[in-house]
Amino acid sequence: MIRRITALFGGTGGFIGAILVLLIAADGLAAPLIAPYDPLAVDMTASLLPPGPGHLFGTDQAGRDVLSRVIWGGRASLEVSVLAMVIGCVGGVSLGLVAGFFSGGWLEQLLMRVLDAMAAIPLLIWAIALVGILGVGPFTVVGITFGNEVKLLVLLGVLYIPTLARITYAGALAESQANYVAARRLQGVGPLRIMISDVLPNCLSPVIVQATLLLAIGIIIEASVSFVGLGVQPPNPSWGNMLADARNYLFSGEWWLSVFPGAAISLSVVAFNLLGDGLRDALDPRHTAQALTA
Amino acid sequence: MLALLLRRVGFSLLSLVLVSSCLFVLTRAIPDSPARIVLGQDGTQAQIAQFEHDHGLDRPVAVQYGLWLKGMLLHGSLGTSFITGRPVGPDIAATLPVTLELVVVAFVFSCVLSILAGTLSALLRDTVLDYGTRLIAVLGVSVPGFWLALVLIMAFAVDRDWFPPGGVAPWSAGVLQHLDSIALPTFCLGIFYMAVLSRMTRSSMLEVLGQDYMRTARATGLPRRRILVYALRNALVPVVTVAGMSFGYMFGWALIIEAVFNISGLSGALLTAIQQRDFALVQGIVMVFTFIFILANIVSDLTNVWLNPRIAAVRT
Repeated sequence: MIRRITALFGGTGGFIGAILVLLIAADGLAAPLIAPYDPLAVDMTASLLPPGPGHLFGTDQAGRDVLSRVIWGGRASLEVSVLAMVIGCVGGVSLGLVAGFFSGGWLEQLLMRVLDAMAAIPLLIWAIALVGILGVGPFTVVGITFGNEVKLLVLLGVLYIPTLARITYAGALAESQANYVAARRLQGVGPLRIMISDVLPNCLSPVIVQATLLLAIGIIIEASVSFVGLGVQPPNPSWGNMLADARNYLFSGEWWLSVFPGAAISLSVVAFNLLGDGLRDALDPRHTAQALTA
Repeated sequence: MLALLLRRVGFSLLSLVLVSSCLFVLTRAIPDSPARIVLGQDGTQAQIAQFEHDHGLDRPVAVQYGLWLKGMLLHGSLGTSFITGRPVGPDIAATLPVTLELVVVAFVFSCVLSILAGTLSALLRDTVLDYGTRLIAVLGVSVPGFWLALVLIMAFAVDRDWFPPGGVAPWSAGVLQHLDSIALPTFCLGIFYMAVLSRMTRSSMLEVLGQDYMRTARATGLPRRRILVYALRNALVPVVTVAGMSFGYMFGWALIIEAVFNISGLSGALLTAIQQRDFALVQGIVMVFTFIFILANIVSDLTNVWLNPRIAAVRT
């Protein structure tokens, strides 16, 4: 029984990854319930307390509880990496699917050239430069105010598109020449319907694997960009901006400020990587999904 | 070979033009005029109009882009800073060497080590060495470089006196001193790609070793070393592609690493330019990075053609 479940995730590693990912997702969703303190509550009488019974992970320079901030920071990290991945998948899968299914025409040429140009963009530099150009701070669209991190996640999502589109394109190109597609055509099914209900499900496996690996890279990018002050804005906690604060305490020995947020990042990235590698073994044995880089 | 080179360069130039025009439009589309930033909130309407006229900001974006492109092609100029009024080229040239050194050292060290470790790991599959390499590879992609940097500074620069906590000692301070000061930054920069590349080398090598032609090669009684060279030539093709991309991406991570170690390189210059809202400089720096990224990809493609000439036959 256990064997069967682990096999779904490509073995023990993938299964452990899946459980960790579930825990991290639960942390993100239930942050208000499980955080022992308000992550923004300043208490100057309790600043820089080492880890102890009252504050398991200690407190920071403003007396805020580090554990609560790590829990809430996970929510911010997940928000950026998950939503960026969703934007990338929606854009990438639809472009790749259309280019692959309607191959051999001007549409394919146009889409693939545009995607080639987008692939010539170094991701992190552009994310940092564009957030910088747009300006740091909340912004308002049609009456709803969004935090600064929304800019980052939209940019990341757009920059993910070429990778995901290329993977979908390769699958769609191969699938649309398969016999079952010809059979569906003979049955008189329209091309749009074949594309969406027959071809699409058959080229999703490598996309799922790549999306999981992109979640891992998204967490690192969010942390890095917040670290240089262009992501989640203080006082709101994120693992990256907590580490930026911790930099000021490197020489005075308050190790808990840098160790816990960093460990949280590493644990989440390990979790998504384990899950991604496991899913790759289970769903994508030919390893079409690319190596993890950014 | 030549046809492939020309084709690649042609497409890359096209990409560069497309991407740079995107960047140009984005920097011009911000609601704040650079004039507001330079003149402050109490600049009069007339002063702003004058500033915009002086810097050509009142012309259509397409014309501005055309002028910028012309300046770059004819004079190799990357534009003029709105804040200081100086051309941005010399500023970039002054800070590029440090960043380039960090990235090149990190790149060479991560490539050499990862190809070595990946190959050994594939040859000695399921031994202690293999497990060790794979464990390091999983940790390497999971620990963010800038956090590793903070921890290593705490452990080896603050608690122990092995490395300086930041900055780069100039060559004039002594070769050892210099190498000592770039050791931690390059390690933190390279470890991620070392992990990625060693994993790729291992899986690619395993795949090649399982091919029929390797069995044939062994059956003909070729010496082991020759067989290994043949296997590597084939196995390295996907590794070289990713390595080429990594080289370009490393400049992005160098930005974060330079911030941690207080190194004043090109990436640091980008952050300062962003804080000062000096968009001409931001644009120039991003173009340099994008150019390096595209160039690295061309070089890796050509390396692959050299490793496996059949690739050229397929692609042209």
